[in-house]
Amino acid sequence: MAKLKYIFIFCVLFLGLTGCATCPSDPEAAKLYHQTNDPLEPMNRTIFAFNQMAEGAILRPVAKGWRFVVPELVRNSVANFFDNLKQPVYFANALLQGEFKSAGAILGRFTLNTIWGVGGLFDVATEANVPNPANDFGQTLAKWGWSGDGGPYLMLPILGPSDVRDGIGRGVDAFAEPATWLVEPEVWYTGWVINNVNAYSDNMDLLKNLEKSSADYYAALRTMYRQNRAKKINSVLGNVKNEEEKAPAYAADFSDIDWEDE
Amino acid sequence: MKKLGAFMCAIMLSVSVMAAQNPAINFVDDLAEDIITNVLTAEVTPEQKLEKFRDAFTKAVDLKSVGQFVLGVYWRKASDEDKQAFLDAFTEFTTKTWADRFDMYNGQDILFTGVRNAERNQYYVDSHIEDKEPVEVIWRLRQKGDSYKIIDIIVEGVSMAMSYRNEYSAILQQNGGNVKALAEELQKKSAAFNAKNPK
Repeated sequence: MAKLKYIFIFCVLFLGLTGCATCPSDPEAAKLYHQTNDPLEPMNRTIFAFNQMAEGAILRPVAKGWRFVVPELVRNSVANFFDNLKQPVYFANALLQGEFKSAGAILGRFTLNTIWGVGGLFDVATEANVPNPANDFGQTLAKWGWSGDGGPYLMLPILGPSDVRDGIGRGVDAFAEPATWLVEPEVWYTGWVINNVNAYSDNMDLLKNLEKSSADYYAALRTMYRQNRAKKINSVLGNVKNEEEKAPAYAADFSDIDWEDE
Repeated sequence: MKKLGAFMCAIMLSVSVMAAQNPAINFVDDLAEDIITNVLTAEVTPEQKLEKFRDAFTKAVDLKSVGQFVLGVYWRKASDEDKQAFLDAFTEFTTKTWADRFDMYNGQDILFTGVRNAERNQYYVDSHIEDKEPVEVIWRLRQKGDSYKIIDIIVEGVSMAMSYRNEYSAILQQNGGNVKALAEELQKKSAAFNAKNPK
């Protein structure tokens, strides 16, 4: 709990220093402001600047070294191992969401990977085409009525993009993870660092591309996070199944375009 | 067993025939094939690679319409000159950044799982790229006579058209709707863009 308390104090402090964004008066701009739902943008951007600094100064060099030293096979096993540890929490969430098909897949995946995958080191379940739905508590909250965009956008220190609902979800999932209470805190933190460095080393080329492909990296990440989360959230709300009635969340509205041939 | 085998063959045959007969899927399949064999795995210099990619990319993607969508409410307010400057910069920038993205391709299979009607003459082609975990990619196409143009690519729920639009709206909102300044920023960014990451 102490960790959460510090994060909270940190946020309040930042908020006090940087203040809230004010809603613009122009109606078009106001519409965009509400869609984006990032009233804490000044604070978020400050945290983002800090994250980017930490990424460039610490995470990137460490991840490069990790990728250079550790063979791909081992890196994959590290990722598989930590992913397998999260499956009991995913399973509980799937039950809370009434997603019994997912719950079955998760149970099958966990059993297969723990026994035949030598304690989760090998992802034999994916090779056997067992899906990895990874139901999280943010989705559970959405299923319980907190649907929509999940409240104001949040840039978490070190952890990255989130929103109020999914930030709470992440906290609950982390505390619910059996490994959190079964091992010593030092072991848990070490594992957390290894898992995250490993995951980052796998994605850093793509992240670098995203950064170089954007004119405003903060705004680009914000919209991509929101859209990707909408997909996960909708997958338990059943919206995507009713495409006849409702356009999918990813359907850009091209109705205003002057097509050349029309 | 023999019967089952024959049955499976029949199904597989009908699936592949179905795939072969859908022109929208064929369009994306041919495009992917073309980029993989003639650009990504071809033995050419990086400069030639970029030029080949540029040809394929700008021919397949309706960047003019996407560019207009991306500017949103700011499109109508902009002068013709600024619109053109933006479209040029946007085309150059997306070509370079998408070339870099395609360059991360590691020989994974692309599986086409179906095609849906989006509206009138627009279609979603559903596909998966087989990676450690499958990545869902949806290609939004618009039919134009006998051919198609890509108007959006949706990767794991993230629409590229919407992402650019939201990002650029944030910038335009900050700079008072100055499309020219955005175009210059994109120009600067693509000039500085070097495709190869120092790894």
